[in-house]
Amino acid sequence: MAGGTTLRIAWRNLWRNRRRTGLALAAIGLSVTLVLAYDAILRAYGDWMVETITGPMVGHVQVHTPGWRTDRAMDRTLEDVSRTVDAIRRDPAVADASARVYAPALAALGDEGFGVVVLGLDAGVESRPMRLLSGATVAPAGRRVLVGRALAELIGIRAGDEIAIVGQGADGSLANDLYTVAALLDTSVDLVNREAVVMDLAEAQALFAMPDAAHEIVVHARDARQVPALLGRLAGSPRLAGAETLDWQALAPELVSLVSLVRVAGFVTLVLVFLAAAAGVANTMLMSTFERTHELGMLLALGVSPARIVRLVLAESVALGLVGALAGAVAGLTLVAITHRTGIDYAALTGTGPSAISFAGLRWSMVFYPRLDMADVLAAVAAVLVTAIAASAWPAARAARLEPADALRD
Amino acid sequence: MSRVFAAARRGRTAGAALLGGLALVAGPPQAPDVDALLRRLDDLYRSTSSIARIELAVSGPRVTRTIRLTAWTRGEDEVLVVIEAPPREAGTATLRVGQNLWNYLPRIARTIRVPPSAMLGSWMGTDFTNDDLVKESSLRRDFVARVDRRSDAPAGWWLSLAVKPDVVGRWARIDLLVDDEGLPVEERHFDRRGRLARTLRFDEVQTLGGRRLPTHMTLVPEDGEGRRTEMRYLAIQFDVAISDDTFSLSRLERIR
Repeated sequence: MAGGTTLRIAWRNLWRNRRRTGLALAAIGLSVTLVLAYDAILRAYGDWMVETITGPMVGHVQVHTPGWRTDRAMDRTLEDVSRTVDAIRRDPAVADASARVYAPALAALGDEGFGVVVLGLDAGVESRPMRLLSGATVAPAGRRVLVGRALAELIGIRAGDEIAIVGQGADGSLANDLYTVAALLDTSVDLVNREAVVMDLAEAQALFAMPDAAHEIVVHARDARQVPALLGRLAGSPRLAGAETLDWQALAPELVSLVSLVRVAGFVTLVLVFLAAAAGVANTMLMSTFERTHELGMLLALGVSPARIVRLVLAESVALGLVGALAGAVAGLTLVAITHRTGIDYAALTGTGPSAISFAGLRWSMVFYPRLDMADVLAAVAAVLVTAIAASAWPAARAARLEPADALRD
Repeated sequence: MSRVFAAARRGRTAGAALLGGLALVAGPPQAPDVDALLRRLDDLYRSTSSIARIELAVSGPRVTRTIRLTAWTRGEDEVLVVIEAPPREAGTATLRVGQNLWNYLPRIARTIRVPPSAMLGSWMGTDFTNDDLVKESSLRRDFVARVDRRSDAPAGWWLSLAVKPDVVGRWARIDLLVDDEGLPVEERHFDRRGRLARTLRFDEVQTLGGRRLPTHMTLVPEDGEGRRTEMRYLAIQFDVAISDDTFSLSRLERIR
């Protein structure tokens, strides 16, 4: 018999018992929505952690002169950085790249010196969203610098004060000058708040006698998943020959293990969520097919072949599964799209809780942005579909093998 | 650094030996009386005052530069160092009174006290630390010394100095080679974990300021990958009158 007829009969069967069909659709749809929602939250966690780590300070890739990370010697500089940074920015995977100067120095309001780190950076790039200066009210420019709030409170610096900065130039000479504190700085990086005097890159290069040189180039990729390929291209580029090029996993290994711990825990929960969803689908499909043993026995008695009965039930469950899973996927995607735009603010959900937490030297916001990967959607739909089909095929095959008389008695 | 500026200030080996050199009667190979030697090193080098002109050459794998300076010292506690060259740094001064250290920066006309946290930082970009400048230490008071072994080339004695338990300082042990003339040849500084941290070598013995002393020293840090700081005395005067206000903050700011 032609498959077309089987499909038509299957379709008609679905409409004959609307309550049963509706229940099955709801089970399948809800399962897909649930799995997708949880998966999206899991991805939000992952993105949130990686973004909190890489966004303001670490970046996805950093370039240094070998040895600088160990001794932070002033004279371990990258030369000709403006052209190197331009070259890096031309890579299509690069969202932004900029150079930084790190100089240990003394800062003094009066005659008391305090150990600080002068951080010279490209204020234009680092003021973008999620970057180090994204929360700053003013950008450092020329003789106007920003001072980390905790450091400022320690020294007693207020906005508008004039401070002396004394350090050592990259050529070993004495670096000293007076600067006006444009504003106090709050960043999500504790270390910066506690130790940094943030200065415009060009000014820092002039102060520390290192024209067009820097200690670090920090690169952000457009997408964290492009980082391995980007790292390969940068490491192989002739402009960076002899430099040390590392991705954030190599730069912040302790945070990487934190991220993978959270990911593993999340994945285990995802598996449990999926099992619960699959059990719901399987239960619904099993029961609704067992319920039809009498009906299927009737068909057997009328001379329909067992194989065709199985095909019929399969066709029904494929149709149910497809419609239910697609509806669930649409619902899940809509939910995720809405929350992705607004973010889920855990702080608002907990009511009086803090709006951010400090951990591992970083400030972590409590807002998450759920996100889905198309591969995840396909996998969830396919898995639920397979569960639905398997859960109806087995009771159908069992019924088809019964003596019609036995089946009718059921 | 201190020993460099302070031919007369500190009781450290270098200076002590410089002065002691003349007085010591060579008596090898009989082992020296360590306590007497150290007392001489400590005490003889503590002239009431000194004025020295010194040239520092700081070289690293990437940068080399030369600094010329004048250092005034009085007693154990007072040091004033004024940089004369290169022009970019001329007039920059460091004043030490007791445990306090100030830098005067003529470019911004400011005096800044060096905080304890910066004491182990480099002094003016050399391999000497601010701490070297401040540390007022006495070999005889801070260390327990013993003769370690005889040295043949140069002829002299290796002394081993272990820090006393209650002394706070960077060095756990100093190995010191003194030649038979009583002049220091080499000092090896071991940190609190027992690792060799740096070596100071003395050579070019000449008569300067009426005393026979090594006029050239080389400091080589172990972790410095080719870094070194050399210093050479250009001139020294001992026991000259230095006015009280030399070692004052107000004087510091009137240097130029």
